[in-house]
Amino acid sequence: MIAVINTASACSWVEGLGEVPWALLPVANRPIVDYWLEACTEFGVRSVHIILGDEAKQIEDYIASGSRWNVVVEYIFPRKNESAVEYIKSISDYWKNGLLYFGGPFFMRRRQGFRTERIKELKTCCHELDSEPYFIYGKNGDELMGLLEGCNEPNRGLETIHVHPYIMTSLNDYFELNMKMVKAEFSRYVTAGFSSKDGSSMGCNVRTPPSSHLQAPILVGDDCRFGAMTTIGPHAVIGNHVIVDAFSELIDCLILCDTYIGRNLEIRNKIVSGNRVIDPLDGTTIQIDDSWLIARNRPELRTEDVVRYIILWGVALLIAMVQLIPFLLFMPLIRLSGIAHFRKRQYHDPHTGYIALPDFEKRKDRKSIIYRVFRALSLDRFPRILLVLRGRMFLCGQPPMRHPEDDGIIKELKQYYPGVFCYQDYNRDSDRLVDSLWYVHIRSLYEDIKILIKALVSRFLTVGRKTSMDGK
Amino acid sequence: MVSCTKINDVGVVQVNKALTAATVDAFRDQLGTWQEAEPTVKDFVIDLRNVDFMDSAGLGTLIAVLKRITERKGDMKIANLQKKPRMVFEITRAYKVFEIYESVEDAIKGFD
Repeated sequence: MIAVINTASACSWVEGLGEVPWALLPVANRPIVDYWLEACTEFGVRSVHIILGDEAKQIEDYIASGSRWNVVVEYIFPRKNESAVEYIKSISDYWKNGLLYFGGPFFMRRRQGFRTERIKELKTCCHELDSEPYFIYGKNGDELMGLLEGCNEPNRGLETIHVHPYIMTSLNDYFELNMKMVKAEFSRYVTAGFSSKDGSSMGCNVRTPPSSHLQAPILVGDDCRFGAMTTIGPHAVIGNHVIVDAFSELIDCLILCDTYIGRNLEIRNKIVSGNRVIDPLDGTTIQIDDSWLIARNRPELRTEDVVRYIILWGVALLIAMVQLIPFLLFMPLIRLSGIAHFRKRQYHDPHTGYIALPDFEKRKDRKSIIYRVFRALSLDRFPRILLVLRGRMFLCGQPPMRHPEDDGIIKELKQYYPGVFCYQDYNRDSDRLVDSLWYVHIRSLYEDIKILIKALVSRFLTVGRKTSMDGK
Repeated sequence: MVSCTKINDVGVVQVNKALTAATVDAFRDQLGTWQEAEPTVKDFVIDLRNVDFMDSAGLGTLIAVLKRITERKGDMKIANLQKKPRMVFEITRAYKVFEIYESVEDAIKGFD
């Protein structure tokens, strides 16, 4: 018997929570995939195929070899346009003796009458939503193939062993599941730190001063700090590495990992993830940029990001120093001739929402050597390079997105790195959205230096001729 | 940034942009100018129907304005608070400081 876990399916409602893949979303402080792998062990499965998608690295880092769950994991990337069912069919030789499949944000909610021993009584079944299977189980290859071919009617079997197949289709479903866990159901998934006396769970290394008021039932993760006079609970699910400052109240809420809650705040019926506060009822999200209010308390920078940042900041400083004197010489000439000027325009900013960036615009439609030399030496980017030195832009990255013209593109991007130089500086046929997505996919120091060199050289050789980036 | 009108001796201040660190100075200045021009107006309704976002600087400015108005024996009410600023009001407990109404008319009636 094998298990197939599909983490590649799309799940749009998760995007409001940040960059956590839906398979790693915590339910009562444990990722969804953790429950699935635990279920694999309970079903007696040793071999697990994990289908990976865009967030492959985070999922691979978490599951690793699978030895924590006593399973052997193989990672698979789906072929283009291949559905999970098609993949399962393609490996039918592996599941002649049985198959367990999990796909999409699905949770096996244990009812009060659930007993682990009853898992053996489960018959071939499939739970699906809009023809998309979320759970498939069977011990007989022929029966399973019939089910996948659509010959056999899906049998809603999990209910027979007192398990509610809980399919999450919105942030509210996810929030409600966590609230159900903290209010009553967590005792059915007991982990270390659980106290049956008050139905609460406390992780390791949680520091609470005597004046902090903890009201059961609550679930608290590891490495948390609560300030003086804080009120935590009832019905609060607090993830790992959460800091709550003095006088704050957290009631009926879900606080995801690595979150800082500032002083004297009140979080009720909300999800907080890093610096995002979400109303689960309608999915309204606000991003707080005041780090003393609500913030992500763990830097998102990894070592390679720090190295890249330092090197590119140094390169930006070098370029700025080289450009300083030519800029001071040419700028008065540009102004005197009136051929062009810098004009501030509103752009999207990953930190503050919007930022006014200087655009170099030609005023008169006539040829000018000064103008072309100015652009060939990339002096038109000098003010933006100064913004790189101030940490407000990246030296290389995606094209800065205008507000409101590029609002549609911004919605498509999960990560946004507005750069002074980008693919469009040397590729005239560049598509802003496709290139932006591609840049996120292969972002590295090597790629940034490649973009920088190509952009500078291309602009110089074309003597500052306009590219597709200009005028956008 | 703001457009001010007088209705039944109540100053109705309609804010037309997000209230953030970048815009609070303009809000404060324009409101202050109007207050000087209309010294008899003591009570104010801040109409936030066009404010789709507010940060702590915006909230701090509203509190400062409330303080200044109450020092002059007046009162200030908020109307048409949108969803996102409402969430900022909720988490910072600002809803305990301000009187919030669904519409400008309700807020003006609130002074009676």
